[in-house]
Amino acid sequence: MTNRSPKQIRHHFLVFSAAFLLMGFSLHTYAADGAVQVKLDTAKAGPRAVESLTERGILRDYRFAWTSMAQALEFNTLDPLEGPFSGEAKQWLRQTVASQQKSGLSQKYLDQTHHLEAVFYAPEGDVMELHDTAQYQVQILDGNKTIRDEQVVVHYVVLMTPGADRWVIRHLQAVPEF
Amino acid sequence: MCLAAWAEVCSAQDLRAPTSAVAGEEATISTTGSGKATFYLVGPGVSHRNDVALGEEIHLAAQDIRNAGNYVAILCSESCHRASFYVTAAKPVTLTFLVHPSRVPVAQGDAVSGVALPFDQYHNLVLTPLNVSFELTAKDASLWSKSVRTQNGAAWFRAASGKSAGPLQVAATADDLTARRAVQQVASDPCNLRITGQRTRTGILVQTQPVHDCAGNVVTDGTIVTFTATGPHGTGTVDAPIKQGIARAEMDAPGPVVISVASGVVMGNEIRVGAQ
Repeated sequence: MTNRSPKQIRHHFLVFSAAFLLMGFSLHTYAADGAVQVKLDTAKAGPRAVESLTERGILRDYRFAWTSMAQALEFNTLDPLEGPFSGEAKQWLRQTVASQQKSGLSQKYLDQTHHLEAVFYAPEGDVMELHDTAQYQVQILDGNKTIRDEQVVVHYVVLMTPGADRWVIRHLQAVPEF
Repeated sequence: MCLAAWAEVCSAQDLRAPTSAVAGEEATISTTGSGKATFYLVGPGVSHRNDVALGEEIHLAAQDIRNAGNYVAILCSESCHRASFYVTAAKPVTLTFLVHPSRVPVAQGDAVSGVALPFDQYHNLVLTPLNVSFELTAKDASLWSKSVRTQNGAAWFRAASGKSAGPLQVAATADDLTARRAVQQVASDPCNLRITGQRTRTGILVQTQPVHDCAGNVVTDGTIVTFTATGPHGTGTVDAPIKQGIARAEMDAPGPVVISVASGVVMGNEIRVGAQ
């Protein structure tokens, strides 16, 4: 058994703290990086008009949601899903992460571009439906082995609802076409 | 050489995904080739890896494809081949029905609105167009109804509130599915606000006649009525809540005054009360 002096313990604590801070910084940088491009068109939204403040909120929160989703599916961690997702979208994303943890698979979503079109905004503003034509490079890995690597275009039907301080994705369903 | 060519043919593997699949229904993927391979299924809520025999069908269990969306099936032996397919929502079993507001003044145009979204038993949004009938009823009488076809999985309405205070039943029906919500209709702004007043030993007691809206509904208790007394010594104001349909207040004004009444933007009559 090794006895460590208080000086050694303090040294280890400092090293771990620094590593933890660096890791946190890198995760934060990842979440805030510009790899996810989102464009939003609200011209066809109705019956309620989309205010410019709401538009900015949707852009910000949708981009953050996809950054978080990519992070969750790449690192097989649930934490990034807390906040940007709720309801059924959060449920199936959690299932995917749990299933990936079991199978040893992971997914990477790279170079994402999302063309969002608001197609329905409820009269009282409590739900918005959007169509997302998403283009990205998707990689599926079995351990370190890449079993899929391709550029894809996927159409998503999205339901977003306003939360206390952000818009959350409640429903995210891929469809062959709109 | 012949053996090498034979081996190449035998090891060539491919897979064919279903052309259409419905959430929660079993599906099969056919494979070609021979020998062993690893099969992957990746989609919303699923990420499986299995060993399979090439040339045999791969059965996808109902629970593996219960979430509507895009799935990719990958088959790997010497190399990997993939096929993607879409799973669509099953038939609707629930209607999510959002109605606003929970309390509404009577006789207000476009005051009640609702949104209906059909979902299947696995909570997938049903995007196939569907007729949704909206109906507003009060005291078993239909006030308004409209049939709306869902567009992109959503149907909505906007309607005026009824004329009588009390519960308003709002229903959305699609085939054999019905969702109901209740909205409390309350009296609108007061109408024909009238007051009476008389001197007492301590001041002037003013009170309204029973306060109704223009449709005859008793205005909700707690609604504030403002009495204003104007006389040679200045102006005094008292706010009083309506209790059991009547608002009353005692005002301190020894000289002659003119007392007026208002509630919100509605003005009532004026009365003159002489000096003490």
